[in-house]
Amino acid sequence: MSASRTTGARLSGAAGMNRRDALRLFGLGALGVAAAACAPSGGSTSNGGDTKAKNFGFSSWSLNEEASKPEVQKIISAWESSHKSKITTTAFPYNEYLQQLTLKLNGGEIQGAVHLDIAWLAAIAQMGKLKDLGKVAGKGGYTDVSLKSGQYDGVQYGLPWTTGSIGLIGNQKLLTEAGIKQHPTTIAEFEDALRALKELKGVTPYAAATKVAQLKDIFPWMQTFGCTILDGDKVTIGDDASVDAVEWYKKLHDEKLIAKDVDRFDARALFGQGTVGFYDDAVIGKGATLATAKEKGLAEQMVPVPRPVLKSGDQPRALLWGGVIAVVEGEGSDAATDFALHTTSDQATTVEYFSKLALPPTTTKGLADPKVAADTFTTDWTEKITKTATPGPFWAYAKNAQIEEAVAKQVQAVLVGQASGKDAMKKAGEEVSALIKG
Amino acid sequence: MTTAEAPVQTVEEPVRPTPPPAARKLRRRPDRIRSSIAAWTAVAVIGLFGMLPMYWMLVTALSPKGQAFQFPPKFIPTEITFEHFRTFAENEQLFDYMVNSVIVALITAALSVIVSTYMGYSFSKFRYRGRKSLMNFVLASQMFPQALLLITLYAVFRQFGLLGTYTALVLSFTTFTMPLCVWMLKGIFDTVPDALLEAAAIDGASRWRTLHTIVAPLAAPGMIAAGLFAFVRGWNDFIFALTLANKDTMTLPPGLVNTYIGEFQTSWPALMAASLIVSVPVVAAFMFLQRYLVGGLTAGAVKS
Amino acid sequence: MTTAPPIAKSPDATGGPSRGTRGRRMSNGMFAFLLTVPGLALFGAIVLYPLIASLVTGFFEQDLRFPGRSWVGFDNYADVFAGDFAAILEHTLVFTVGATAAPFLIGLALALALNTGMKGSGFFRGLFLFPWVIPGVVVSFLWMWIFNANYGVLNGALIKTGLIEESISWLGEPGTAMLAVIITKTWASFPWMMVMLLAGLQTVPRELHEAAAVDGAGAVRRFFAVTWPGIRGVAAIALLLEFIWNFQHFDTIYVLTGGGPAGATETFAVAVYQDAFKGFDLGHATALGGLWMLLLLVLVGVYLKLSERETK
Repeated sequence: MSASRTTGARLSGAAGMNRRDALRLFGLGALGVAAAACAPSGGSTSNGGDTKAKNFGFSSWSLNEEASKPEVQKIISAWESSHKSKITTTAFPYNEYLQQLTLKLNGGEIQGAVHLDIAWLAAIAQMGKLKDLGKVAGKGGYTDVSLKSGQYDGVQYGLPWTTGSIGLIGNQKLLTEAGIKQHPTTIAEFEDALRALKELKGVTPYAAATKVAQLKDIFPWMQTFGCTILDGDKVTIGDDASVDAVEWYKKLHDEKLIAKDVDRFDARALFGQGTVGFYDDAVIGKGATLATAKEKGLAEQMVPVPRPVLKSGDQPRALLWGGVIAVVEGEGSDAATDFALHTTSDQATTVEYFSKLALPPTTTKGLADPKVAADTFTTDWTEKITKTATPGPFWAYAKNAQIEEAVAKQVQAVLVGQASGKDAMKKAGEEVSALIKG
Repeated sequence: MTTAEAPVQTVEEPVRPTPPPAARKLRRRPDRIRSSIAAWTAVAVIGLFGMLPMYWMLVTALSPKGQAFQFPPKFIPTEITFEHFRTFAENEQLFDYMVNSVIVALITAALSVIVSTYMGYSFSKFRYRGRKSLMNFVLASQMFPQALLLITLYAVFRQFGLLGTYTALVLSFTTFTMPLCVWMLKGIFDTVPDALLEAAAIDGASRWRTLHTIVAPLAAPGMIAAGLFAFVRGWNDFIFALTLANKDTMTLPPGLVNTYIGEFQTSWPALMAASLIVSVPVVAAFMFLQRYLVGGLTAGAVKS
Repeated sequence: MTTAPPIAKSPDATGGPSRGTRGRRMSNGMFAFLLTVPGLALFGAIVLYPLIASLVTGFFEQDLRFPGRSWVGFDNYADVFAGDFAAILEHTLVFTVGATAAPFLIGLALALALNTGMKGSGFFRGLFLFPWVIPGVVVSFLWMWIFNANYGVLNGALIKTGLIEESISWLGEPGTAMLAVIITKTWASFPWMMVMLLAGLQTVPRELHEAAAVDGAGAVRRFFAVTWPGIRGVAAIALLLEFIWNFQHFDTIYVLTGGGPAGATETFAVAVYQDAFKGFDLGHATALGGLWMLLLLVLVGVYLKLSERETK
């Protein structure tokens, strides 16, 4: 044992690598390169497993939200006890959901039924892991519009759970206090209304989304100003209309008519405090906002407001919004399909779900249910907002989320004064053009 | 390298300065007073910066839900509630995250210490070609960008069907705990006298036996310290667990983000209560670790 | 290595009877090597291989979600340079310099204060460690709440004291967002600087100080003549380490701002992560990461040299 001797030589153990060591490390590196060349190069894991298994998974962002969690849980428990099976749930926050779902789905960690925003369907469907539900969709009795929202490339990947739209919600009490007798129908009237609301102390006139996560809300405004966004496969972001829209947004921002650093959840929280005149939300917003609202009387004060238009007589713009339940091929997919069908089309289940969360059913029968038909907020919403709603321009692209984010970032750059509307929209247009090709 | 070659134990608690001789002290009284005032001022000012946020975390965690939405806020609470701590305790999901955090951090610490003990011993007690380069590589490796490693780690773990497993988490955490443990343990073995090894050899003990039955027990406190550091680092990890864990293996840091950012991002009192709870084990661990702090730090122990 | 004496040559003094019988007794070099095998295997698998594979990916077009990839040469790098590289580098540098200098100055002031032998310095040292030991995610949550635009305590305090009239959206404006991120990181790292510098200060002999004082040197002169030369080495290492860590820091920024607003706090770590795991564009992410790695390697090289020199 020569430990002592070698340590005796320790002090001489000194700096630097000589050529030989460098070569050795380099060799190690070369080995790594060789290994890297035959690296795993993409998702090829198939979800094997027993499709007939009784137990399956269910992923939904609704399980992460205070208002909807108990209701969804109720549906799950009812299924579990009537089918003597176990549903394993997975929840991610809405803003993280697409990313997390993609990563987990890609890794084969997600099985069974998955709740999808219709905006994400194309991206997820293209991963090639979803089951074709065409055979069962006919049993649901869904309305045509709803059914279509679950299709991508002609295949029925999702069963519609919610079909609605994102539109403006107003606080009638505040509007009245501000002396706004009629809901604004044009941009000019809307601005006047916002300024009137600004006069009230501590009120945010319009809690528009200003964080990247929901800044896609700008699309309907761009359309309102006359930008088609996507014309065939030509991106028109960057044209005068889109610049007008963004600069108008910037004007509202600079006049403090819209608040900074707000996403959907902040907007709901602020609205729930009774300090917001208008905000953008889906029809689900009512339930979600009320769950955390300060005053319980707020429910009666929430009114759907058609998006103001540029010139009186134009058609108000709105973004379709909805959720579908899709099924991942593999383990438990048969049972998951039944569950998806039951959850989205069973009369008692959907009507109960509606009565708790204000999310209208997607079936003809469900919509005809007296409880649904008698709800004025919902019927108003359908009449005033969903009727003219259109799908997001880039939903069909696998990179929809990245496209929306690219645009959102540029809009944000304008809002914070980093770029002019013209430059930012030009850049956004270029980035989007590149993304829809790739 | 100063940092690393310096044996861990040699850096002790701050030594209280010995009072200067009385004569000198007399002469310099005004100066001492001045410097004492300056010292207290610095401590007070930095103390405010350091402690007020902690105070605010505590106050928020103890506030009833509605109070978080008062503006301007009440700086001194008038009402105190423990409901948010109870909510945390009753939330099964958060409890699961906590269990995962404990499991993953413990295994990471154990694995890191075992593997690093051998490596650190080799670095400390033997001299051979390439040793220095290896040591430098190990030291440097904790400075490689995690986000970049993660891209391939994700692909590799997917290939082997390991995504979402404890194995994936432990292995990825090891990328940053191992370098630290190797360097800490090397420092600790440096303090074990070579004479002891020689004596053991003369007694006929094999080199393995010497390491396991003589050196290891001597270095045990240092090994525990290194393990605790590794535990803390594993406990605090965010980026790897965020990406590689699934709902069954998710640890607390990404778990909290998933729970509170989004719909519940406005439940500040609950979030602050959860934050306090997550911090407790780490703070406790560091109370034990104070003595080893400097050695661990200089070996690049904890990335802040 | 120019220096290490070859083990094989050193006579095995204590080997006794087994000496020379290689079949039964392995050489010290072999033994030392065997000890490193588990560690090396792990490092190779989880650090070296991933690193190289990631760098190789930078020359391919690859989507995380879909199988297959195609060679594109330097296209990704060209894209990176044509895109946000300059902005990301700038943000990274601003963040890194800010979040290294501020904790250093605070830590130095604190270390000097605690080193005067004031009452309770041990207690304060322990107390000041808290911000640094709590998890990075928690630090971000806490400051996110403090900086909150609508209900944040910072706005509340500033309004109450009359310093501002209207709430500032700290995390919503590019200028203040970077400041907020730096403040947050500063809060979390000054304790580490304090500990490091305190350790350095303890190696400065008190007598030198006393002597300088007797010679009539003022506090400032004493600092530069006595204290600073004594802690320069430690300070340099601490600064460099902190710089390297900040250069690849992720948690605080990702949770606090996610790189926003309008990309104003987008650093390499955040951009690479988001490109890869939100944009799923692995080629772009790893090309950006390759440049990032290159810059880091320079820093790490400087660090290794510096600590090498410090040893002597």
